[in-house]
Parts: sequence; C-alpha cells; structure tokens
Amino acid sequence: MFKLAWANLIHERVRLAISVGGVALAILLILVLNGFFAGFQQQAVSYIRNQPAPLWLAQAGIENMHMVSSMLPPDTLKRVTQVTGVKKAVGILYATIAVQVGDALVPSYIFGIDPSDPFGGPWSLSEGSANVALNEIVIDQTLARRYNVKVGDSVSILGYNLRVKGLSRGTFGIASNMVFVNKTALASGMGVTPQTVSYIMVQPEPTANLDTLAADLRAVVPEANVMSQSFFIDREQDLTQQMSADTLRAMNTVGYLVGLLVIGLTIYTATVERAREYGILKAIGANNRRLVGIVLIQSFIAAVIGYLLGVMLSYAIVGLADRIFPDVVILIEPSSWLREIPTLVVIVTLAGLLPISRVTRADPMVVFQT
Amino acid sequence: MNTVLELENVSKIYGHGHTAVKAVDNVSLQVKPGEIVLIMGPSGSGKTTLLSIAGLLLRPTDGHLWMNGNEVTRFSEHQLPSLRLHNVGFVFQAYNLLGALTALENVEVVMNMADVKGKAARTRAIELLTLLGLEHRLNHLPADLSGGEKQRVALARALANNPPLILADEPTGNLDSKIGREVMELLCCGLGRDQGRAIVIVTHDHRLRDIADRVLWLEDGKLSEKEVNWNGDELLHRAYPSSTG
Repeated sequence: MFKLAWANLIHERVRLAISVGGVALAILLILVLNGFFAGFQQQAVSYIRNQPAPLWLAQAGIENMHMVSSMLPPDTLKRVTQVTGVKKAVGILYATIAVQVGDALVPSYIFGIDPSDPFGGPWSLSEGSANVALNEIVIDQTLARRYNVKVGDSVSILGYNLRVKGLSRGTFGIASNMVFVNKTALASGMGVTPQTVSYIMVQPEPTANLDTLAADLRAVVPEANVMSQSFFIDREQDLTQQMSADTLRAMNTVGYLVGLLVIGLTIYTATVERAREYGILKAIGANNRRLVGIVLIQSFIAAVIGYLLGVMLSYAIVGLADRIFPDVVILIEPSSWLREIPTLVVIVTLAGLLPISRVTRADPMVVFQT
Repeated sequence: MNTVLELENVSKIYGHGHTAVKAVDNVSLQVKPGEIVLIMGPSGSGKTTLLSIAGLLLRPTDGHLWMNGNEVTRFSEHQLPSLRLHNVGFVFQAYNLLGALTALENVEVVMNMADVKGKAARTRAIELLTLLGLEHRLNHLPADLSGGEKQRVALARALANNPPLILADEPTGNLDSKIGREVMELLCCGLGRDQGRAIVIVTHDHRLRDIADRVLWLEDGKLSEKEVNWNGDELLHRAYPSSTG
C-alpha cells in the first residue's frame, strides 16, 4: 500500500508541495520560536554565567536577578570577605532602569561595579575600558552601533549624563540590555550608602570545599541567601521560562494547528478527488483498513518530508538571522527538533483522520459509472 | 457439477412503499466453471444491479447467493472485500485503472492486497501483461495507454489473483470492433474458458452473443435463458468477420 500511497502523492506534485510546505512552515515556526526563547534564556543568564564566582549571595528569599530587587546590609561584603576559604568577594549594585540614548529610552539592567574589583564588570570589551569613574558608563557595542554612539559620547540615566567609557560584547539581547556604571554613583542615584550591595559574588580559595564554604557563609550572614552559581542560573532560566511559557505554548499551538490544517486539508482534498479510485479499490477487494492505511501513509510521508525540510530551513534561518541580527540569539539544537516528533506523529494521525470517513464511505458502485 | 456462482430467487428492491422499484426480480442462475454467460437486455433492465449482486458489491433484498459452494449472503460486510479479492475478477467498461500507478503496478496492487508481494507479484504481473501483449507498456501510466491497452491491463488485473469467476460489464463498450475482438478473444478463450474460469458478461453488444455458452435476457428485472452450443473460436470469427482470427 506504501507504493500506492506514494504514487498518489507524487502524481499530484503541486498538492504534495503544498502539503510538505505547510508542514515545513509549521515546524519552522515552532523551532525558530523555541530557538528564539532558548536564546533569550541563554542571554538572560549570561552575566551570572560569565562571572568567575561559584557562590552567590542575594537578599534572603531572593533567588533571581530578573523581576526582583535584592539589597544586602552595608557590612555584608566585609563579613563575607572575613570568612575562611573566601579568596575574593565582589559586591555589585543592581537595578532595572531605562538608559536614555539619544532620544530613545532603552530598558536596561544597570550593574554598579567597583572598577578596582577583578570581576563583576563586563567580561568582554570591544573598545575602551571598564574602569568607570563616577560619571562614566560601559554600554554594549550593538546598542552603541544601533544609536550611533561612540566611546566619549554621552548617554543619561535618570537625568545624569554619563560618558561612554567602553563598549562591551555579549551584553545586549532582546529585553536584556546590560550597562555598567560606577557602583558609588549608582548607590548615590538609588539613595543608598556606597557600601550597600545587591549581590555578592564569592571566589573561594583553591583548597576550599564549596559546600562547607556555603554553610559557613550561611552561618555568618544568615540574612542572605547563599547559592551556587549553577543553582542561580537554573533559577533564572526557570523564571524566564515561566515568563515566556504562555507565549511559547500559544505560538507552538499555532504552529501545530497550521501543520494540522495544511496536512488535513491537502490529504482531504486529495482523498475527495480520488474518491472514485478508492471506490475502485473497494470494488476489487480492498477493505476499509487498507484504504485508511493508504490515507495515513500519505499523511505520514508528507509530514516526514515536511518535517525534514522544516528542520533544514530552521537552521538556514538561524544562519541568516545571525548575519542580519547578530544581537538576536536563536538556539536550535538536535534535542529541539527531536522532541517535536511525538507531537508531529499525533498531529499527522489527527490530520489523516479527517478524510477517513470519506474513504470508508467510498462507493464501490462507481466502477459501473462511465 | 459444482457451480462457481449460484443465485437463487434473488431480488433487489430500491426505495420503499409506493416509490419502490424492483430492479432484479426473483432471479435464479447457475454458472459453472469454464462457462461463458452473456446477460443482455435493454437499458434499465437491471443488468448492472444483477452484476453488482453477483460481484458482492450489492446485497440482494431477497434470495440467496453461493460462490464456490459458500452461501455468501450470510457473510458480514467486512468479509466481502476479501471474498471479492480472491474469487472475482472485474472488467469494466471504463477500465477503472488507478491513474497514479503504471500498468505493471495496477496489476501488482491487487496481488499485494492478497498478500502476494515483491518479486512473486512482479513476476506474475509481467507474465500476464506479456501474455496480453503489453510487455512494452509495463511502465506506462494509464493516461498514456490506448483504450484497448487499458482494457488489457484491466484484464490482467482481473486475472492477477487467479479468480474462478470473471465479471465483465460492457467490456467492449469503449473499444472499436477489432480491439473488441482481441480483448474478448483473450478474455473468453485464452484466459477464460481454457483455464476453467467462469465468465459472466453484461453487454449491449450483440456481436458477443455468439461467443457465449448461454445468452440470458434480462428485462424488467426478470431473467430468461437461451441455449447456444457453438464452438467459441468459430463464434468469435462470426461475431467479428473483419478479423483474421
């Protein structure tokens, strides 16, 4: 029956192209959207991931950077530094404020850093330096390019003009623009003491045991939440996933519905147009099971070709997007498209079910019509 | 002698009440192996209905039908396709080939349905099509074949599963007399009677009267019978005098 199903499909090449194209489009939509959100998630944790600090401290009860506010008492950093096993502790201030670049207000994550600290600032610079004075700022090179801002130009935060000291890399993404300012200046703007920090990053001594050190830190700073870097990353990713889950589900549903409708309608049309042939097959001895099998095989062939085409197109789109929109990260990995297979099988089976009633009702008496 | 097909008091009524139409009226018929039965009659006499009942495509309203000694009127709907597949070969006026399949594949497909697959199916399909003079048209689609060639492919398909009964509905209806003779010669003599197959032909074509062992007349759903005792080959020659056969 595979031969007949295949022959029926390729006999109508335009319809096959529509069917395969529809499935490919649906898969493309799903993979690119999922990839877009995966990229967003990756960008959302890039600051935490790129700091050489296996342990992080936040305000008690705080497990994220996005959508929260964390403040630790002014003496916390000093107490952490004195704990045995801590090689270096770096405190940062963190706030979500819009940066005015030219006439545009760009929502940004502001990191207040101490320029003398060995880490905590931008991990990669394309131009200038991150040694920010009170009236200086480091912005991302993509943001600078977009608004034609150069090192030495000014941007402003809450009405304060800041001179661009350097341009960072990998710190700009959809809804995750990062800028770096002097911590003392940010503390002043936020109305807190210069010793106040939002988060503390801890680099342990090489001989220190991380679990023991974390326990010691919890004992010394009970008002803080001590987390491992990997836990902090996981929590951030969970949060961004929750933020995007509904949108993602809605778009995936749209993608699947497009696939379902395209396969269903093309196979249904093909079945209706071939109703006479199904009648002939019935007359010469094919049972309903066999006829249904032909329809389902057609659906599956169209779906498999469409699926593979969709995966290839998705990678092509990722390559293209990377050239045109370098700040947009779309992450597509084999696991992304492999996990769509079970859903696709269900979709294709459903699509195949649409024309089944037409097939089972095919009238074998058509053989006597001339 | 055993019968391949037997109808006993078979009737078929369409509709109900005062709109009811009796298409087949109390017909009884026995067809023996190797026998060629011609059913003739005016349009609307019930010929196609009778052939459909004989081919298990339509259930009679009354009466009984036996195929190779089995009463098939008692069989359930889902058993009938398999019975048709193994016991009946159909030849239609409109050929009814599958447009997406080649001549070879059209023959193979019925064998595949009967679980004869792969090389065995291909070999038999090629054998049949070669026997019918289509060895050079094996891989052509029906759209690329002439009417006579299509009917020969249909004939090969009807014979593919080696059924004991062939039912033909106006098999020469779309063919000219020369091609019609060739097809009937193959159907009745070469592949029919000589191999012990029973053949029931429904037709308007009077030229076919002479090749039949029996000619039946159907009118208003009622069947009447005439006996013919001539030799088939001789009668084909008489039916188609323009041929050299």
